[in-house]
Amino acid sequence: MSQVEKKAGLLRRTSSSKKPLKEKVVLMYDEIFAKEDPAKNNPRFWDELFLMKVNLEYLESKLESIDGEDVQCIQDNINSLFHHCVQALGEEHQIKVVNALQTLCALFRGVHQKNKSASGFDIINMLMGFDKAEQRMKDLMESLDSLLCGDGSESLKSLCLKLLLCLVTVTDNISQNTILEYVMINSIFEAILQILSDSSSRGQHGYDAVVLLALLVNYRKYESVNPYIVKLSIVDDEPTLDGMGMVVHQALTEYNRQYKDKEEEHQGGFFSALTSMVGSMFIADADEKLSVQTNEAILLALYEAVHLNRNFITVLAQSHPEIDIVPAPPTPTPTTPTTPLGTTPPSLDVINNPELPLDPNLQTSNLLITFLKYASIVMQDTKDEHRLNSARLCLIILTCIAEDQYADAFLHDDNMNFRVTLHRMPMRHRKKAVGKNIPSRPLVCAVLDLMVEFVVTHMMKDFPFDLYLRCVQIIHKLLCYQKKCRIRLHYTWRELWSALINLLKFLMSNETSLLSKHNIFHLALLIVNLFNMFITYGDTFLPTSNSYDELYYEIVRMHQVFDNLYCMVLRVSTNAGQWKEAASKVTHALVNIRAIINHFNPKIESYAAVNHISQLSEEQVLEVVRSNYDTLTLKLQDGLDQFERYSEQPKEAAFFKELVRSISLNVRKNVSLNTLSQDVLLKEFSTIS
Amino acid sequence: MSLRLETLTESVLNQDNQTFTWMTPSFALRPTNSFVWTRPTAGVRIKVQPTEQRIKLRPVEEGGASSSSPSLSLPSTPSSCGHPQPVTPPLGVINEGVAELRLVIDAEVAQRACEEVLEKVKLQQVEVPPPPDEAPPPAVKPPEIREGEDSSQGSVKSARRRQRHNPSKQSWLLRLFESKLFDVSMAISYLHNSKEPGVQAYIGNRLFSFAHEEVDFYLPQLLNMYIHMDEDVGDAIKPYLVHRCRQSISFSLRCAWLLGAYSSDMHISTQRHSRGTKLRKLILSDELKPAAPRVRREALTLTPFCPVPAGPLPGEHGLSPSKRTHQRSKSDATVSISLSSNLKRTASNPKVESSPDEDCSSSSDSLEFDSGPPVRLAPQREFIKSLIGIGKRLATLPTKEQKTQRLISELSLLNHKLPARVWLPTAAFDHHVARVPHTQAVVLNSKDKAPYLIYVEVLECENFETSSVPARIPENRIRSTRSVENLPDCGMTAEQRAGSFSIVPNYDNDDEAWSVDDIGELQVELPEGHTNSCDNISQFSVDSITSLESKEPIFIAAGDIRRRLSEQLAQAPTTFKRDPEDPSAVALKEPWEEKVRRIREGSPYGHLPTWRLLSVIVKCGDDLRQELLAYQVLQQLQSIWQQERVPLWIKPYKILVLSADSGMIEPVMNAVSLHQVKKQSQLSLLDYLLQEHGAPTTEAFLTAQRNFVQSCAGYSLICYLLQVKDRHNGNILLDAGGHIIHIDFGFILSSSPRNLGFETSAFKLTSEFVDVMGGPDGDMFIYFKMLMLQGLIAARKHMDRVLQVVEIMQQGSQLPCFHGSSTMRA
Repeated sequence: MSQVEKKAGLLRRTSSSKKPLKEKVVLMYDEIFAKEDPAKNNPRFWDELFLMKVNLEYLESKLESIDGEDVQCIQDNINSLFHHCVQALGEEHQIKVVNALQTLCALFRGVHQKNKSASGFDIINMLMGFDKAEQRMKDLMESLDSLLCGDGSESLKSLCLKLLLCLVTVTDNISQNTILEYVMINSIFEAILQILSDSSSRGQHGYDAVVLLALLVNYRKYESVNPYIVKLSIVDDEPTLDGMGMVVHQALTEYNRQYKDKEEEHQGGFFSALTSMVGSMFIADADEKLSVQTNEAILLALYEAVHLNRNFITVLAQSHPEIDIVPAPPTPTPTTPTTPLGTTPPSLDVINNPELPLDPNLQTSNLLITFLKYASIVMQDTKDEHRLNSARLCLIILTCIAEDQYADAFLHDDNMNFRVTLHRMPMRHRKKAVGKNIPSRPLVCAVLDLMVEFVVTHMMKDFPFDLYLRCVQIIHKLLCYQKKCRIRLHYTWRELWSALINLLKFLMSNETSLLSKHNIFHLALLIVNLFNMFITYGDTFLPTSNSYDELYYEIVRMHQVFDNLYCMVLRVSTNAGQWKEAASKVTHALVNIRAIINHFNPKIESYAAVNHISQLSEEQVLEVVRSNYDTLTLKLQDGLDQFERYSEQPKEAAFFKELVRSISLNVRKNVSLNTLSQDVLLKEFSTIS
Repeated sequence: MSLRLETLTESVLNQDNQTFTWMTPSFALRPTNSFVWTRPTAGVRIKVQPTEQRIKLRPVEEGGASSSSPSLSLPSTPSSCGHPQPVTPPLGVINEGVAELRLVIDAEVAQRACEEVLEKVKLQQVEVPPPPDEAPPPAVKPPEIREGEDSSQGSVKSARRRQRHNPSKQSWLLRLFESKLFDVSMAISYLHNSKEPGVQAYIGNRLFSFAHEEVDFYLPQLLNMYIHMDEDVGDAIKPYLVHRCRQSISFSLRCAWLLGAYSSDMHISTQRHSRGTKLRKLILSDELKPAAPRVRREALTLTPFCPVPAGPLPGEHGLSPSKRTHQRSKSDATVSISLSSNLKRTASNPKVESSPDEDCSSSSDSLEFDSGPPVRLAPQREFIKSLIGIGKRLATLPTKEQKTQRLISELSLLNHKLPARVWLPTAAFDHHVARVPHTQAVVLNSKDKAPYLIYVEVLECENFETSSVPARIPENRIRSTRSVENLPDCGMTAEQRAGSFSIVPNYDNDDEAWSVDDIGELQVELPEGHTNSCDNISQFSVDSITSLESKEPIFIAAGDIRRRLSEQLAQAPTTFKRDPEDPSAVALKEPWEEKVRRIREGSPYGHLPTWRLLSVIVKCGDDLRQELLAYQVLQQLQSIWQQERVPLWIKPYKILVLSADSGMIEPVMNAVSLHQVKKQSQLSLLDYLLQEHGAPTTEAFLTAQRNFVQSCAGYSLICYLLQVKDRHNGNILLDAGGHIIHIDFGFILSSSPRNLGFETSAFKLTSEFVDVMGGPDGDMFIYFKMLMLQGLIAARKHMDRVLQVVEIMQQGSQLPCFHGSSTMRA
């Protein structure tokens, strides 16, 4: 729309402006890009400039078009423009402030666009001049801080955040953005927190603030001290943390809602397609249509909060009944759209619209439930890069959660029961939407369900090996907690066991293709050790004595898988080679499982022989198991309940670098698209002033 | 079975029943009279030994009960009982005495002075026979006052002397008032029954000398009288109420709540109504602050005896012009007030001089209120309001599950505002509420309302008004710096580190606060006894060792693991299965000790030595005034039975009335309803008890059985006396010791569900109950019957104490239990 309007504006203005066919502001820009000081002839030049409506396109293209040599000549003028922009931020006249903010936006972007290869120092020099840079940036950050914290117009605050987002994302790699060094020194962390702690400002700017924070935290994360990391890790103000959680919650909820809408939209076609038996063709097709753009920025924010701040863990469990959103006072200027320049926050009206406080259909939810639902959607399809990254990040977040004692405590809290509807991938061999009546259970059951679901559904050619590793590790961590705290979770462990055994089976059948890329023995070891946990420590966390029998039953029933695994690892470990050591570890780990198989199989066979039954029923096998425990001796294995703690560096550093890069690109794209539509903003201020 | 019992006991019951009903009509004034009349016989002789006196009294009363002949309840019309005369003239004198007593500092002296004044009244009465003339008192006054100025000590002595000299001329009433036997119960009943302003005013003053707890028990009665009875009673009580309100926030709030609740039945336009409401407003406006820290201690005696503390309340004066003039004329008539207030200023008592504030407040015109916002009561009112608000919102949700989830989330929000200077009024000690463990809260079973049970973590303190409110500890109490520490090469300098750490609140320094970060380091204490059941090897398996040096493989038997699993499962105390339709069953079944331990472990405040766990049921939409009445009756009966050494067991649970349709209830610990027991266990009551306590011959079971019988007998009597209806299994609890406890006294006396007006059986005794007692021929059943009889006799003997509680509350009350005429039988 802006294009058309721009042109119209251009035409209209021609009549009034001195020189035909050019806007006044454009003329003024031209003056700046001339070599002389524009204020020389017109002392009120800068005052006038900021009263003009900014023509971002022109300014940016002008900056881009400067040749290397010209830079030197006009540097003074650009410095001067920057300087006056910063000064104008302190103006009372809000139009000037708005224009100054937008001009700054254009400056940052234009300069970077031009000098993609240039070093950060050159850019700083060009914008502000080396000698004054520190002071200018200090002034800029202080002005932004006071604008954000003051009780000025909401749109103005929003614009400030846009400017900051723009500044943060001008480079592809955030760590190469040297200007951010000044943002580190002159922290706006407190301003961000303030926005998050207040419910009304949170509603309007929360999303931008959270994304900005997530990006800032990732600036030179591994190389230097990032004050934002330090500060974020020690925040303990509950309203603020809650606010942050709420923003994430809303964004994820919105995603889930969109997905559900699409899915329902799709449903009609789904069944007709099913009847026409298009099979696999259809599923691929459906997946494409169902994919909704994932929101990695918000997920990154959630990760940083969970990973850095222990206090944030409580927020995960913090239920969000509708009431605490309701008291948000109506916005001071109700005519203003909530976000004139939104960076595509999924839907801010959801945040603003006070939900009906007493809608009986509304299930009370909390951030963790929403996150689990979100994860279940994201994990369905890991084919494209974005979704794979999202799924990976989800699993990393879950890893952090599973390691945290407090989080575990509420995951296992018997009093906090929820129905969590996880999304399940439509698969040919099983019915979709099996149970509408999921029982209300402790949250950990939902986590385990999600893990089982993942294990079952991703045994494919393009094997997401690291996701499987994380998945199994999460299960292990949860088991360790249950063992330590002697929590007997009423969970159908059988599903987990059979899922894991199937995974082992898959690993073995695809041994050759997988082994070229991954250390499958490591994964196999983890899986076997999960079984060892159940075998040796089952007494501390299994819910019933029957479940222990069932474990043995399941192992004996699937003994072939374990036998094959043993053969394989034995073969690999006896051959000298890359995997020798890894395989021999698995051999050792299998000792108890093999003992069980070797102990019970003959017993069962002889039972069958004695009773002349060819096929034993489950009950009969269990009976045999029960009566033959006493003659079985197991070996106590070391370190079953030990696990490697998650640490971001060095293992995950590369992943996060890439992730931040893609988020930066995405945010930049959105900011640039929307910053141009400033008409609304101007309208607001023209009526005010 | 139950029929059988009725036939067995009916004879006894009926007999007594008759006597009870028979006595009722003329009962209103009888207890007071009988006291007045029976006392003198023994009183003169054994005055110093009240216990002996009681013994003397007993046969008389018991005789009355057992013979059930009316002759012993010594008739005589109330008007002739000797104290109508003293009243009219001494009106002024008593007031004067009151004014004089303002000089006195402590309660004991005050009491003595009271006696002294009464003494004078008597003397006067003797000397100046009943002329209802106002002239004589002023004439007599000067010397008296001087005497008071001299030294109250001396005057008391002289009074004693005089008293001893002419005992025969004493008024019996006065002697009663002076005697050590005169307790709150009697005071209340005289306050209620006496029509004489003088007596009422005297009792109003006497209230100050009783222990606070004793008076507190009768607070509902006092307030109901204040609201619904005539002005004289109100004026007599008011100084005391105001005084107590000044002293204590919790008393202020209790008063305010009760006033609100008991006023609600009246017409809005009624003037009396506005009296109660005015006082309530006054309290809530927080004008009744302790005047000044210095004065507070003296206030104990100073405020009460000002004749005008009612005066400082502008609300009262603004009430109606006629009333004001009326009051003034009254005081003018007695002159003494103006006189004494002048005197007070000139009095040499330094303590009075040192309390100018008090002086101010006693003269109604120069009153100054603190202009500060009423913060004293605000936090607590907000707290209660939010609890009630939650209840109201819950009621709109359709399913139990939703209610529970909503409750949990609402409470977690409430947590953000805690700790604060708020407390649970049902608790017995001073404390601040620190946290509501929201995940433990449960919604209770109710059809259309949403009562809920919350557990509340509190920190005990010296005095909740003055002790500082504990600092908030974030929910997960874990050091917030872990992540910084873990960040690899953060490149922080030592200073930076120190700088960033200093921001962290210093609760980390607390040694007691554990700093367990993650499950890797988590140490779990095994419950005691558990370790014994495991052999050495299994100990190894419990804490696996990571040492790689021990090459020696450790072997364990699979059978052991399996055995341990089943053992531990069997060892665990029986728990109820989680049922979304009945979420409270599990929570209530868990032993209290266990729950306390568990919640303490999970609480950020758990490490503090003053940490305590309380629980409370919040009810909205239910009128708890009847429950309160039942509580008082139960309390009285319990003390009666204790006094008479009848081993009946009942458990009155505390009730806090917040308004006519909301309140709080103190939950009964370790108890689940019979309904829940049956549903969960699918066993008969006897089998369930056997399951819980062991075989029929074990000590544990026998104890439980005895408890069952004693409580069953106690509650059967309660049901009979109070005509408690609606006795379904959901309203009867069974506690861990085997006691049964009746709850929900929503239908007592003349009210009943669906307005049937009657229920066929006098109390609930099912065959299952009898089975627990060993069948209708069992020893325990005989014991049960005996207990019933003893209990009934004891109750009959002290029935006045019980009756009075109920009677006073009948005033102006619209409670369903008071509908109809044949309200009270006992």
